[in-house]
This record gives sequence, structure tokens and C-alpha cells, in this order.
Amino acid sequence: TKWAATRPKFPATELALHSFDKTYSVQFGDLWPSIRVAMLCEQKYGALINSFSSASGEITDLEAEGCRDFITIDCSRNEVHKSSQDPTTPHNDSTDVESAPLQTSITPDIKCLVFPRGDISRFKPARPDSSGILGYYLLDAASVLPVLALDVRPGQTVLDLCAAPGGKTLALLQAHSVNHLWANDLSVSRTGRLRKILQSYVPKEFLDEENIHITCIDGRELGMREEKSFDRVLVDVPCTTDRHSAVVEENNIFKRSRTKERQKLPLLQIQLLVAGIQAARQGGLIVYSTCSLSQLQNECVVQQAISVAQEELGITVQVQDLRWFTQRFSDTFHFAPQLSVGELVLPHLCANFGPIYMCKLQRMN
Amino acid sequence: QEPRHLNSSHSSQMPHSPVNQLTLCSLLQMGFSQTQAEEMHEAALKSRGKHVPSVLTALFVLGFNPSSVLKILQKCPEVYSAKGEELQQRILNLRKMGLVEGSLQRMISHYPKVMVLPLKRVNAVSRLLKEKCHFTTQQVTEILRNSPEVLEEDLAQLEYKIQYTYFRMGVRQAEMVKSKLFRLPVSELRCRHSFLERRGLYQTPDKKGQTLILNPPLKDILCASEETFLMQVASANAEEFNAFRKLIARELEEEDKDEYSSSDE
Ligand SMILES: C[S@@+](CC[C@H](N)C(=O)[O-])C[C@H]1O[C@@H](n2cnc3c(N)ncnc32)[C@H](O)[C@@H]1O
Repeated sequence: TKWAATRPKFPATELALHSFDKTYSVQFGDLWPSIRVAMLCEQKYGALINSFSSASGEITDLEAEGCRDFITIDCSRNEVHKSSQDPTTPHNDSTDVESAPLQTSITPDIKCLVFPRGDISRFKPARPDSSGILGYYLLDAASVLPVLALDVRPGQTVLDLCAAPGGKTLALLQAHSVNHLWANDLSVSRTGRLRKILQSYVPKEFLDEENIHITCIDGRELGMREEKSFDRVLVDVPCTTDRHSAVVEENNIFKRSRTKERQKLPLLQIQLLVAGIQAARQGGLIVYSTCSLSQLQNECVVQQAISVAQEELGITVQVQDLRWFTQRFSDTFHFAPQLSVGELVLPHLCANFGPIYMCKLQRMN
Repeated sequence: QEPRHLNSSHSSQMPHSPVNQLTLCSLLQMGFSQTQAEEMHEAALKSRGKHVPSVLTALFVLGFNPSSVLKILQKCPEVYSAKGEELQQRILNLRKMGLVEGSLQRMISHYPKVMVLPLKRVNAVSRLLKEKCHFTTQQVTEILRNSPEVLEEDLAQLEYKIQYTYFRMGVRQAEMVKSKLFRLPVSELRCRHSFLERRGLYQTPDKKGQTLILNPPLKDILCASEETFLMQVASANAEEFNAFRKLIARELEEEDKDEYSSSDE
């Protein structure tokens, strides 16, 4: 019958939920039920507009369906708010974003359209232009935030340490300012997917080795090999992928057979972040990100990595304040209150993005 | 208005021989006021009921006074076109189902439609509840008394709703009877239950009937208003629940589609 449906005795999704209930109900208290129900419902996407596509009218079409670019909306709204509310924050409506102080600028050229709060409409698949390049890429809109936080400037070199399948790589490339991008991922098959995605979104002439270097090595080795080489480093580590683990049985890291791997995640994450810090040049910025809610994989990893970098490598890093950033985007995303370091997008039924954790660091020496 | 019990003054007002025509005069004789009689006369003509006097008799026999009779017919004009004999049979059937004096009248004045439902229909629902869903005779009576609307529900839907409540939510029959289950569509039940379940506030009991958390009782989940449910049971706000309602509706729709296409293959 309908009721005795066959399912494994301990589905990994159930194990995941059980583990989340134990830790997150303590970590988030009263907020947990609302995060939980959102993670168990269909997530919302954003359409990352592909500026390489010559298909015209994509944005107009999406806007006609009710979508808006959350980056420009939220920025312009807050510009107004800031000037009236917070006189200490540097602002000037007439100066452009590039010349604004480093701390509060947003990479221009990245556009990500989303349906408004509470609207559950879905996006149509993107169409190719005359040369086969797709008009937009669908991804969790919150995953654009780490890229925005990285704040890539014209002419800079960027390392994307764990890049596959490439959503964030693609977002990085939208800011045409990237001079040289190194996209790396340990997994051969996932690197293959990254290549495919880049091929569908970036014209051939742009994909040469000069601009984009794709490798498939252990990110932990890159720190030493490429010491002090990059202006910007994105460390988007493997994690418990909470939303996926709560709903999809396949490839689930909460399977009994993957317990060891799961327990070793925080260590791997620390090592990858340390490698990222090492690969950044002096003054360079590093953004660490995960799609987990777990303190152990987020704040604790950042704190550990900072002390490892200091004690073992003599590298000093400073945590960059991202509160201005979360304020800007608070109409689109729900952010967790009061984290010790970094910012966290919480899934919410009315704005069902995330979880995405990000923390921005600057290498001081 | 409370229906009155059968009494002699009423029977004396009733025409002795079956009268097929309904006249204003006979209505006045039955105790309707002038305006009531006129209204009823007009409605009866419109309905083209051929046995109105016998219908009225059946209602008077139940102890309703003229104004209650009028109210019943205003609520459910279909009753005009029934046959007195059929009505008697249906009423007798309800009595057999345990609806005693008092609750029978309350049921009819609250839900007059029960008088135009064929016997077959009523018996099918009762059989389904007893035989397939294991309600006791007394429980069935209670269900009919509190939620006569159940008699109109699609049988497959009704069975599914009860199975869902029993297996998925782990709720026993006795508790179902005490809730608004039989007055709400299964979609509402699933919506509220899934909302709680995904928030981590409801668990399906295991084989021994145990859960790690204390489930809220069914009657609280299906309690009157959405606000009360959100505030007291789900601790959530309306904005979230509205979004959830849309999401779950789409999920169920797609589930149905999947089922349909897979059985198609
Ligand atoms: C969260 S995913 C990255 C998602 C990607 N940044 C995007 O936006 O599409 C983490 C990636 O880290 C890769 N990975 C795991 N261990 C690694 C390691 N030691 N070095 C480099 N990459 C690693 C995994 O193969 C996986 O593709």
C-alpha cells in the first residue's frame, strides 16, 4: 500500500535531520524550526545573468515575469537608508562604486535576478544565443554573496580553490575585471563539469589559458606551491551541504559509510583555508564559504585557520567586517544574528536561499 | 431555534388526508404566519415539488415548529422536491444509526441536506467508516452528529484522509472523532501536519507508538482558526505559512502527476 513504502531502514536524510536537530536546535534556538521547514521545502534560485551571452532581452523577459536584480535593488535602497540613518558610514550618491572606500563596495557587472519575497515561481531554462552561449545560470542566489564579498578589482588575479561545478567561478567571471583566474578542484569528474559549464557560458576566445587556468589538484598543496600569488582567493570548501543532505538520499554525506569522511571535514576545511591564506599576497583578500549551518564548519574553522596561519606560518590575517554587506542585502536574505565571525544566510520559507556561510579575511603580511 | 418535540397540538393542525396541492390556506392552517406562508408558497411553486405537504408533515412529525421548518427549507430548497415517504425512510435510517431525539433534529436543522442524500450514499459512508476504517458504531454516530458534511465526501478521499491520519500521524480513531478531521479537506490536514513535521514539531510514532517528542493532539492541529494554530501549535507567522501553503500545494500536485505518469507506463 501507500503506507508501507519501501525505504532503507536508516535513510541518510533521516540521519542528517537527526543530527541537525541535535546541534542546530541548540545553536539557533527558536529560529531552528523555521530554518528546518525551509530546508525541507523547495529552495529558491537566482538567475545569474551571463554577460558573455549576446542574447538580448533576457533581463527584460525575466523582469516581465516579476524578477528583480537583488544586487542593484538592495544597493540602491540602502544607499538612501544609509545617508539618512547612519551618518558615520561613508557614502556619497554621486561617487561611483569603484571609487567608494574599499570596505563598502560591491563588484559591479554581476547581476542576479530573483523572484520577490514569498513568490515561489520557477525560472525557465536559459536559452542559448546565436553562438550557443546561455543567457543565465541558475543557482542559489545566496551563493553569489561570497563572490560579491570577495570584491574583485580590475586587473586582479584570482584563485578559486574548490571551484567545481563552477557557479561561483562563473559569477567571478562576470566582473570582466578579472585578469587571471585559476579554478581548481580535487575531483576529476567535477572538474569536467566545471569545464562543460564554462564552455556553455563563456565564449571560446575568452577561455584560453592566459585568462583561465583549470587544474585538478589537492587544494591543500596549492598554498605552498603558489605562495603569495593572488589578489583574491575564494575558498568554497566541501561541507555537509545541509540542504542537500536533508532531502536527497543519493550521494549523501550522512550515509553510515561516510561517517569518517564527515568527521574529517572540519580538518580538511581548516587546511584548505590555510592554503588559501598562504596563496594570497600581502593585502590580499580571502573569502571562506560553506553551504552548512554548522558552527564547527564555519566560525570554528575560521578561528582555527587564523591561529594556524599565525602560529605555524607566521601569517597574520584580519577578519573583515561584513555587517554593512548583510545590511544591504537584508531585503533579499535572512541573515543569522550575532555570529562571532562571518555572516550566515539562513533558509526561510519566504526567502528560501542558503544556507551560505561566508567570512572575509585580509592577509596583513 | 430549538426544534420542539412531537406534540399533539401539531398533529391536530396537520391535514388528515394526503393533500398534493399546497395552498396558502393550508399553510396558514399548519401554523405559518401570513408572510411565512407566502414565502413558502412561492418557493414551493418554484421548486416544482409534487409532494410538499408530505414533506412538511415529515418535518412536523420530527417536532419542528413552522418557523424552524421554514428555515430548514430556506437553507436547503432541494428538500421541497423530495417525497415524504423517502424522507421518512432517510430519517428512520439516521435513527438506526444512533441519532436519537434531539441530536437528530439538531443535525437536520444544521445540515438539512442530509434529507436529500440517498440511503445508499449514507450507508456507504457508514460502512466505510466501520468496515474499512474500524470505527465503532458509537464513533460513527458521533462523527455523523458532529460532522454530517462527511456524508458528501468522496469515499476514496475520505478513506485516504483517515489512513493518512492513522498511519502517517499515528492518531487512533477515538482521537479522530474528537477533532475537526471530518470537516476539513485532506489538503488542509496534510498542509498543517507537514508544516509541523518539517518544523520538527511532529513525528510519526514508531511501531511501538513511541516518538522522541510530544506530538500536539489532532484536535489542536485542526483547531478553529489558522491564527490559533500558528500561534499555539506551530509557533510560526502567517507569512511563512502562506508560502508553505503554496509550496506544499505544488508538491502534492507534482506528486499526483508523477503517480499518474508512472502508472501510465
Ligand atoms: C562546495 S563545492 C564547490 C562549489 C563551487 N565553488 C561552486 O560554486 O560551484 C566543494 C568542492 O571542493 C572540492 N574538493 C574537495 N576536497 C578538495 C581538496 N582537497 N582540494 C580542492 N578541492 C576539493 C569538491 O570536489 C567540491 O567540488
